[in-house]
Amino acid sequence: MFDLAYFSQTLVNGLSVGCIYGLIGIGFCVIYNASGIVNFAQGAFVMLGGMITYVLLTTLHLPMIVAGSIAIIVVALLGVLIERIVVRPLWDRNATMFVMILATLAVQIVIERTTLILVGDQPKSIPVFTDLPPIRIGGVSIGYQTLWIIGVSLVLIALLALFFQKTLVGRAMRACSINREAAALQGIPVSRMLALSFALSAALGAIAGILLTPTQFTAFNVGTPFAISGFIAAIVGGFGRPFGAFLGGIALGLAQALAVFGLGSGLKNVAALSVLLIFLFLRPSGILGAAK
Amino acid sequence: MKTVRVLSIATSLAAAAAFTTAAQAQEVYKIGVSAGLTGYAAAVDRAWRDGLEVAVEYVNSKGGIMGRKVQLIVEDNKSEPQEAVTVYRKMIGSDKVDIFISGCVSAGNFAAAPFVTRAQIPMMLCSILPPQPDQVKWAFSFLAPPRFEVETRYAYLKDKTQIRKVGVLHDPSPYANLQKDIAVKSAANFGIEVPVVEQYKTDDADFSPQLSKMNAAGAKAVMKIGLGGSTLTVAKNIKQLGQDTLLLGSVDDLAVFKPAGETLGPQFLFVAAPAQIYDALPDGALKQEIGRFLPLWRAKQGDRDPFWAGKAWDALMVTIAAIERAKSFEGPKVRDAVETISAFQGTGGVYNFSPTVHQGITENPFFLATMVGGKVQVK
Repeated sequence: MFDLAYFSQTLVNGLSVGCIYGLIGIGFCVIYNASGIVNFAQGAFVMLGGMITYVLLTTLHLPMIVAGSIAIIVVALLGVLIERIVVRPLWDRNATMFVMILATLAVQIVIERTTLILVGDQPKSIPVFTDLPPIRIGGVSIGYQTLWIIGVSLVLIALLALFFQKTLVGRAMRACSINREAAALQGIPVSRMLALSFALSAALGAIAGILLTPTQFTAFNVGTPFAISGFIAAIVGGFGRPFGAFLGGIALGLAQALAVFGLGSGLKNVAALSVLLIFLFLRPSGILGAAK
Repeated sequence: MKTVRVLSIATSLAAAAAFTTAAQAQEVYKIGVSAGLTGYAAAVDRAWRDGLEVAVEYVNSKGGIMGRKVQLIVEDNKSEPQEAVTVYRKMIGSDKVDIFISGCVSAGNFAAAPFVTRAQIPMMLCSILPPQPDQVKWAFSFLAPPRFEVETRYAYLKDKTQIRKVGVLHDPSPYANLQKDIAVKSAANFGIEVPVVEQYKTDDADFSPQLSKMNAAGAKAVMKIGLGGSTLTVAKNIKQLGQDTLLLGSVDDLAVFKPAGETLGPQFLFVAAPAQIYDALPDGALKQEIGRFLPLWRAKQGDRDPFWAGKAWDALMVTIAAIERAKSFEGPKVRDAVETISAFQGTGGVYNFSPTVHQGITENPFFLATMVGGKVQVK
């Protein structure tokens, strides 16, 4: 017999994890829009967001809001550092997309190994932001952390839209993504925009990490699976479209949850990715169409 | 003339160096370790590696094995069978190891077993035994039979609770699959029903869909079969969903149990090994053996979980006993001797090997426990 409460719970579960995939996907889009680079170190930013917050909470006993804010700033600065010492030299030499991907993958591994050396291999977690029992609507439970994830994601989407459409810097970044040479001729500091895009993308990754770690754990090696899910979200949504990436993440999260509902978790990724592949066959440019 | 003399001296030195190296190589007993130092098995296999290092240091400080110093050669298989094949081949071909004392990545040990068997090198394993009889001949497992972990949890549910429906959540590793099959088949013996069996990937970010499914099917307990941080994620998801479900974890590291216990409190129970409840153990041979290892471990690792490291200690101690019994370092003779070792007290229990039993632990050494105030408490 069809269990409506269970089905509704499945949708809520899918939505919650989908928002995280979407946030990570947005990080891919921000850098891609400013530079045309696909940054595979995005998962490392997610891991670092949760890990640095954990370290600050447990060693300095800072309040969550302070620890999280410091973590976001540190990861954003790390994003700029990576842009300066890894990406920029390659970018200036007109390295191909494949070289860039390899370089960012190498960065991911370096960050993973460094984290392993510094904090060890054991799983770590941080407390939920609001430690209350979940809200119950009918037979559906909605945890407060889920509300935090969905709420912060929506606020970030709105802020990003405002940033890219209304602010001079945001429009300059978009101009760089459309035509780097033309943007430079217009006096836009293209290299500074690249650094800014890395900072923004890293900060978004860190926020995703801080939001999701209370619902699971973080460890030196959790970044890669998140990077893969975020990358899929970005492609399904239409690569380069931040809001599309968010929708793509939700589509992936829902598809996975519904696959467990209908087929069992052994086939979760097979079923979810098959559905998304079929969707991409029908609409190769993704939900919103790829950015130009 | 001068040139000839210089060449002559150089040749003599090179010959002497080669002779010395050969002599030293003869005096070293090489142990190969294929371990998942990264990947899903990292927490356990790093402890296994670290436990071996403590054991080797101890053995070498006592003069080695029959006069030979022990040398560890550790390779990271990244918790992947393909990588395991590569590192096993390297340790056989290049390092010429005498024995393997390898970690818990079952699939990796299975993948390498055919050519390790051909090389006639004994394998002392943290994992379950490979499936083929000719490979089992060369492999010895220090892991307790998977049914013990299942039975410990079912017995608790039957004797101490009214819960009669259990969801099984397992990872895809051979060991977890074996436990899952046992859990499904043996449930009825305890008056328990398993309405849902779900598999997960070790890097899954969320188990809410699986937990919701189990809850919808009436399962009031989740038997989680698998290692690593995923247990913590399951605990957090149960709390997020506001379920009153019991979470029954597998044998794992205390570093996983502590945060899971903090998250779920008395709803989280787990299978605990003797070394994890040392203070609560009655006096006897088991406590004595753990007490031999524990100070050495704590001197290096502080309050880190000693269980898996203790298993590695056991594996080396059984190896030494076999070498001394065989009076030989040769693989076939050591293999034959391991089969004669029984009633051997280790930190993980009593090992009883024989020609037909290569999984040494034959009596259930486990307890069901929970975390109270950051400390393990036996239920």
